[in-house]
Amino acid sequence: MNSIKTTFISLVALTLSVAAFGQAKKPTLMVVPSDNYCIERGFVSSFDVQGTTMQYPDYRAALQNDDQLRLVITKIGSLMTDRGFPLKDLEQELKNLQTSQAEQMVLSSRTTGAGIYETPVDKLKRNAKADIILDIDFNVKRQGPQKYIVYNLKGLDSYTNKQIAGTAGTGKPSMAASADLLIEEAVLSHMDKFNGQLMDFFQDMFENGREVTINVLIWEDAMIDFQEEYDYMGIYDELGFLLEDWLAENTVEGRFTTETATASKMKFTQVRIPLFFERRGNQRAMDTRRYVSQMRGFLRDEPFSIESKIYQRGLGEAWLILGSK
Amino acid sequence: MKYFTLSLITFLMIVFTSQTFAQRAIRKMLKSPYNYEVESLGVGQDGTKLVKIWGYSKKAHVAVMEAERNAVAAAIFRGYPAGNGAAATPALCSDHSCFENNRKFFDEFFKPGGKYLQFVNRTNDGMPGGRDRIKMKKGYKVAVKASVAHRNLREYLEQEGLIKSLDSGF
Repeated sequence: MNSIKTTFISLVALTLSVAAFGQAKKPTLMVVPSDNYCIERGFVSSFDVQGTTMQYPDYRAALQNDDQLRLVITKIGSLMTDRGFPLKDLEQELKNLQTSQAEQMVLSSRTTGAGIYETPVDKLKRNAKADIILDIDFNVKRQGPQKYIVYNLKGLDSYTNKQIAGTAGTGKPSMAASADLLIEEAVLSHMDKFNGQLMDFFQDMFENGREVTINVLIWEDAMIDFQEEYDYMGIYDELGFLLEDWLAENTVEGRFTTETATASKMKFTQVRIPLFFERRGNQRAMDTRRYVSQMRGFLRDEPFSIESKIYQRGLGEAWLILGSK
Repeated sequence: MKYFTLSLITFLMIVFTSQTFAQRAIRKMLKSPYNYEVESLGVGQDGTKLVKIWGYSKKAHVAVMEAERNAVAAAIFRGYPAGNGAAATPALCSDHSCFENNRKFFDEFFKPGGKYLQFVNRTNDGMPGGRDRIKMKKGYKVAVKASVAHRNLREYLEQEGLIKSLDSGF
């Protein structure tokens, strides 16, 4: 009886430990029509910015009026779902934003009547977003009696702004095929190559860590800057250089680039953060916010004793603002 | 005279040996898992690839079977080139030593009547003729138009652990 109990406990412990070993955070993907696509078809919103008329893509209008765009999004969506990456749907995301905004406005506490606390930053951040944007552009053209499609699909990392995958090409001209069929063929034809490149990107991420951007800023009322000198474990140097030392020790193979380094701002790009960290004995998935919180811990300790605030821009970008929370 | 005979024998030996080497090289090339003559015929239906692929053998019907096998092997080890409106398809195994590292699996998979037949369909059962059936010195070179169930093949290789799925690790 005792041995059965022990075996059972061991099995439960083993299952729990396997479950506890985290998986890397899965990036979200969303198909978005390119600016060029929207502007060319008149799906734009115009704003007057200091006397200059600026044009911005109107995604809602594009999705409500363009059948071919919807066809492409649906087709790419079904192919990506098949590969284990269900896409965020832009149309639903926009609808959801609108309804949640309306709900938030009418929601109030039963006892005090207070509304939901929301800072101006929260309002600003209420937009459709994804970690990887599939930027799509296509055009059915004519050459005499024949139709052909020009297709361009780019995978963009929202945080590094790098193109991580891309495929473009011209379809075979046809007299009989409808535009919809040409579009469907183009999507089917190009997705394998695109997914191959996406796979390479993920493999690189697993081998060399996730590539993120970290901005370190200073509140205007803080009495510090990055040129202030500290004695940290026998090394007397400026705060900016000591931060670089910390990054070199805490990134995968010490990989990062200091893009900006002034007295008031430091921007680190191509920062390769590990995919996992340990919390209470368990492996958990790391994101930039978690990573930057480790940097905050470093700055909170002696000899710096600097309080700071973390501002997350997404899975791959976070800001650390020094001086106070 | 003796010198002449010796030179002649040496010359004949060199010619014979070099020919044997050339034949061996050709045989090796034909048996290589990476040597395919393949052409995309257009964009296949969802999850399939439409290709024209060649096979070689002493008998035409064996060359047809060889071509079918090559269609699946090309999808795994080399990918399909672009053509006829279809974009290039990368190899399912991105690891260049995939075949050598999994020799046992692939020997079983590609054996006559093996599992590879689940992933290839010929567009018709008739014996190819005309320019698709070339009589060579020692056999036939035959082209087959085949539809490869690319998605099913990828899923099978993922299940067998030979390749990673796109969402593995997440």
